[in-house]
Amino acid sequence: MLQFEASVLWNAAVSEDVYHLGLTAPSDFGRARPGQFVMVRIPRAPGALLRRPFSIHKLIFDGGRRVSGFELLYKTVGKGTHALINYRIGDTLPILGPLGSSFSANKPWRRVFLVAGGIGVAPMPFLADRLLAKRLNPEDCHVFIGGQSAADLLCQDDFRALGVPLTLTTDDGSAGDQCLITHPVEAALDRSPPDALFACGPMPMLACLAGFLEQRGIFAQVSVESMMACGMGACLGCALPVRDTHAPYRHACIDGPVFDLDQIAV
Amino acid sequence: MSVDLSVNIGGLHLKNPVLTASGTFGYGREFSRFMDLNALGGIVVKGLSLEPSRGNPPPRVVETASGMLNAIGLENVGLAAFIKDKLPYLRTLDTAVIVNIYGQTVEAYAELAERLSDCDGIAALEVNISCPNVKAGGIAFGADPQSAHAVVAAVRTRSQRPLWVKLSPNVTDVTTIARSAADAGADALSLINTLTGMAIDVETRRPVLANVTGGLSGPAIKPVALRMVWQAAQAVDLPIVGIGGIMNTIDALEFLIAGAAAIQVGTANFINPSTAVEIVDGLTRYCEEGAIRRLSQLTGSLVTSARE
Repeated sequence: MLQFEASVLWNAAVSEDVYHLGLTAPSDFGRARPGQFVMVRIPRAPGALLRRPFSIHKLIFDGGRRVSGFELLYKTVGKGTHALINYRIGDTLPILGPLGSSFSANKPWRRVFLVAGGIGVAPMPFLADRLLAKRLNPEDCHVFIGGQSAADLLCQDDFRALGVPLTLTTDDGSAGDQCLITHPVEAALDRSPPDALFACGPMPMLACLAGFLEQRGIFAQVSVESMMACGMGACLGCALPVRDTHAPYRHACIDGPVFDLDQIAV
Repeated sequence: MSVDLSVNIGGLHLKNPVLTASGTFGYGREFSRFMDLNALGGIVVKGLSLEPSRGNPPPRVVETASGMLNAIGLENVGLAAFIKDKLPYLRTLDTAVIVNIYGQTVEAYAELAERLSDCDGIAALEVNISCPNVKAGGIAFGADPQSAHAVVAAVRTRSQRPLWVKLSPNVTDVTTIARSAADAGADALSLINTLTGMAIDVETRRPVLANVTGGLSGPAIKPVALRMVWQAAQAVDLPIVGIGGIMNTIDALEFLIAGAAAIQVGTANFINPSTAVEIVDGLTRYCEEGAIRRLSQLTGSLVTSARE
């Protein structure tokens, strides 16, 4: 089922402007892969006509291996997300999903870097979980999270619970080193290069990563966001430039949101 | 009571009057995961040109009050890929496939119409003289009665398919363009395309859309669309296909009563992909409850006599 009504299981603030939302889903939602997204309609948002895209943060299991729901991690940025925080346990939200492409989590990677900027960390716990399930050693799944200040460094407990190395940076020095997250990533690339890097975050962060990954020839995938109306390849609103300026645009909803880094212009 | 939802649009028989609008429904297949496409009266596929088109640079869409602006710029796969990759699937469907066409010159429209006429599985052509987001073609032909006449007449001489002409609301008087299209041989008129609009980011003072302006669609434009359908229906003796902000059965009924013989669902497909089939069901219930045997009786049934 691709279109369903989800019930809110919880909707809790994790920082001043970030919320953690648990939703029910039919069990076939278990086909969702890390990096995929859902389109959520927020009927209570005044004047918000279109659905909003959100990365799948985690899956919820019903005790066994059956999927019973999923989680979103969202930041309040506009009228849709500001209305979303008012949804309470038992309220329903119309969902389309899972949609889009995913990170290549099923390959036998030996060493992986996950790089997240701000709310871009949302799909990473799901990805880390899948990578470890594919027998990647936790110590070889190095997670880098950057943000403006300590409150922006989300999901730390999730990664600590998985036992993966965690490097933090902030713009203001309130947690981790005071620098951009790309600095420790670049240093670690030279010290002990991974065979894959997966990233999600602001475009300048992805552009910086593209610069030094290209020189080193490391496989990398990035998750990008774009304004979109439908999420399923009908409106073609979410066009993304590609490196060849004459080639057709790619579309964040059906070609993405996860792209091999060399496929799009960041 | 059995209800007859079928309609005749300029010689083309449709099982019901609910179609999906060009540019909002891809090439049909995208929506097969959400509904039985055969339940639709028809599918109008994404605007097609002779050659593939990249469309406009992003950002291309932005939400506005009860609507959205788009400046996609008619990105499409081009005629050859449409015939090879899209049409075979569409042919398997038991619904009318209408191909929306545009060109940068009168000759390009005519050539495209001629080449499509050789293809099986196309029920009608919808001539797009109303896209506000491309510099050449589209609205360049749809805002002027002589140009509109020239395009439609050229297409008419090169294609025997039923010809629908999609009109723009961005004109002073939609009835003059409607009459031009009718005189040039159109079999039906579909209206309205989007209303030109814009949005500005006050932080950067830049237009939100890279194209600066875009086309407004959604519930915000429904009253304007309804008025133009009503005007056009009175001005010409052709079936009208009503388009503009139709979100549900009530909206569809309003268009039929105003004078439309069929309707197209557009922006609503983005929000609830099964809107169009829900409207088919809703129209059936409306007829059953109102003891209306033939839905086509509703077309143009607007009551304008003095209120009691």
